[in-house]
Amino acid sequence: MASSTLIDRRFIARGVERTGTARFAMWLAPWVLLLGVGLYAAYLCLYYGLNQTNMDNRFAFGLWIFLDLSIIALGAGAFFTGFLVYLIKMKELKAVLNSAVVLGFICYSGAMLVLAIDVGQPARAWFTFWHPNTHSMLTEVTFCISCYLVVLSLEYIPMLLKNRKLRQAPSFLAFEHQLHMLVPVLAAVGTLLSFFHQGSLGGLYGVLRGRPFAFREGFSIWPSTFFLFILSAIAVGPSFLALTTRLVEKVTGKALIPDSVYQRLGLISGLLLAFYVAAKSIDTLVWLNVTSPAVGFAPWEHYSYGQFGIWLMAAEIGLFGLVPAGLLLWPKTRASRGWLMTAAALACCGVLLNRFILTVQTLALPTLAFDEFMTYTPNWQEVATFGLVVAYGVILYSLSYRYLPLFPQEKELAGEVIEEGTHVSGR
Amino acid sequence: MFPGVDGFHWTFAHVIFLAIFFAVGMTIVATTVLAIWRAHRDVKTRRVEQLRWHAEFEDLPPAERTCRHELAGRVEHRTCPHAFACGTCPEYSKYAALPTDAPEYAFGMDYPPNRLYHRGHSWVREDEDGLVTVGLDDLASRLVGKPDAVVLPEKGQWLEANGTGWRLRKNGCEMRVMAPIAGEVVETGSPAEGWYLKLRVPPEMRQWRHLLRGGEVPGWLMRELERLQLQLSPEGSAPSLADGGMLVDGLMDQMPKADWDNVMGGTFLQS
Repeated sequence: MASSTLIDRRFIARGVERTGTARFAMWLAPWVLLLGVGLYAAYLCLYYGLNQTNMDNRFAFGLWIFLDLSIIALGAGAFFTGFLVYLIKMKELKAVLNSAVVLGFICYSGAMLVLAIDVGQPARAWFTFWHPNTHSMLTEVTFCISCYLVVLSLEYIPMLLKNRKLRQAPSFLAFEHQLHMLVPVLAAVGTLLSFFHQGSLGGLYGVLRGRPFAFREGFSIWPSTFFLFILSAIAVGPSFLALTTRLVEKVTGKALIPDSVYQRLGLISGLLLAFYVAAKSIDTLVWLNVTSPAVGFAPWEHYSYGQFGIWLMAAEIGLFGLVPAGLLLWPKTRASRGWLMTAAALACCGVLLNRFILTVQTLALPTLAFDEFMTYTPNWQEVATFGLVVAYGVILYSLSYRYLPLFPQEKELAGEVIEEGTHVSGR
Repeated sequence: MFPGVDGFHWTFAHVIFLAIFFAVGMTIVATTVLAIWRAHRDVKTRRVEQLRWHAEFEDLPPAERTCRHELAGRVEHRTCPHAFACGTCPEYSKYAALPTDAPEYAFGMDYPPNRLYHRGHSWVREDEDGLVTVGLDDLASRLVGKPDAVVLPEKGQWLEANGTGWRLRKNGCEMRVMAPIAGEVVETGSPAEGWYLKLRVPPEMRQWRHLLRGGEVPGWLMRELERLQLQLSPEGSAPSLADGGMLVDGLMDQMPKADWDNVMGGTFLQS
């Protein structure tokens, strides 16, 4: 950790410790390799087409759409933290706001990257804006995600310009300051956009009348999945933020945020998760007893194929919903760093499982008399592209952590080495 | 979608959707343009130096934002919320009237009482000819020793208080010394002369309440020496403070392997 090994010292903020340049390069190396493999797979898919994947007419949505939905849900911590800090004035969460913005930017740009490969012909991407189908939920998703990525970029720029070297340029310093002053406007716009695109991603499945497993009644033009997606995203957003921050603390061996911020994130996540579990349970009961029978499917028929048994529903609502909600709401378990992280991890797994079920199980189940149950396994090109997004995320976050002030309280907390079971007192 | 595209016709859905979309889009564009325009204005009006100082102040750890009244022992604990702009502090007078119990020695360093001191380790002295002399204080001079290079402002240049005064370079470490007061540069000096700038300051701007004086100086120096000892402690050793001794001249040369980048950041209030 000696400063003499930091040949990039002039780009790193004063008063914070970063690992030596060589060690940092070694940390990045495997991720760069994964990125390279992913780029090759992406090239194959873009050059030769989707015949390079295991997707087909039945499984038009596969691993990539699951990845998109998942990272967009996990990235909800960005808009929700901005909403809590700037609009609800929960100043305590400023400690994780920068990290939330970077995570959000990574998640949304990663999602756009995969969508560009999945949809193909990126040079014709403008078609979706020029010839939109205004009756499609996907159109609203496309517009909102594109706009929100611009918003996230604008929120990321001030952080980028806070880099020690960049802020020496007067124009950068002034632009960073002025953009930062206007961030509450961007936070409000981001909240509006996120509310609609998170919802529309869920609504996308809820309106599928031809897929009784996913179809839901709802309010006006919005099926219940519209609201459940929003709720689940804002419920796990804070959990994901707590989890990633803790992971960075473990990797770097440094305290980055006070314990009170972890507690606050846990409480917010717990409350919203409990509300989500209640809403999801009611929705499931209505679907099983009313919606599904009305279109000719017995309640348990959906769970009688292959590995997609009733255990999935039990795991989604119970193990990954009710359990983490209870752990996060009970003060004693929330106060324990181990239990808090276990609950946060379970909550994140829950949203991943939910997106998997809606993406893959919906398409796997037969809906017509001559239909068959079909399974789908992604091939290496799809997995490598998945890895491309993960590697891109790790690399960008690592670079951001090294060169940008992601955690403003890091200097204050410096020296408080993190060990299991120890808490950094709140300030 | 738009007129001119085959088969296009306006529907209520188009109007609602596009109205919301363009409202959001325009908000984003307007926000960006406003930020660019304001930034351009800040650069043109030389407000950047003030912005820089406020950004640097925000980044200072609470221990380095100690109020002057705490330094003087007038209050037990107070952190400055005004970027050391005591001239605009509504509570300045209330605390200034309290008695001080600060020590009256300067830890073996040269801090004449006829000078005022900036937290960024520069000093100010009013001369008989009406000009104001500015220099680097003894602690910073002892740390730097003889600088490798000095970059001074040109004669006639206007300096902003807390803006860039001059720059020093030593052993590859670049330091920006903040101007303690605003004024026009009349003459430039050198380390050998013991001063760096002579400024002409208009009478209406001779309000230097933000500078430390009297009993505030030893309290400030004590904290600065504590910070130095902690920052210069060998890596891995337990924090310990010396209870005697004097700061040697040219410490940067004496301890070439220390993390001077970090030490100088703390000394000259830069993150």
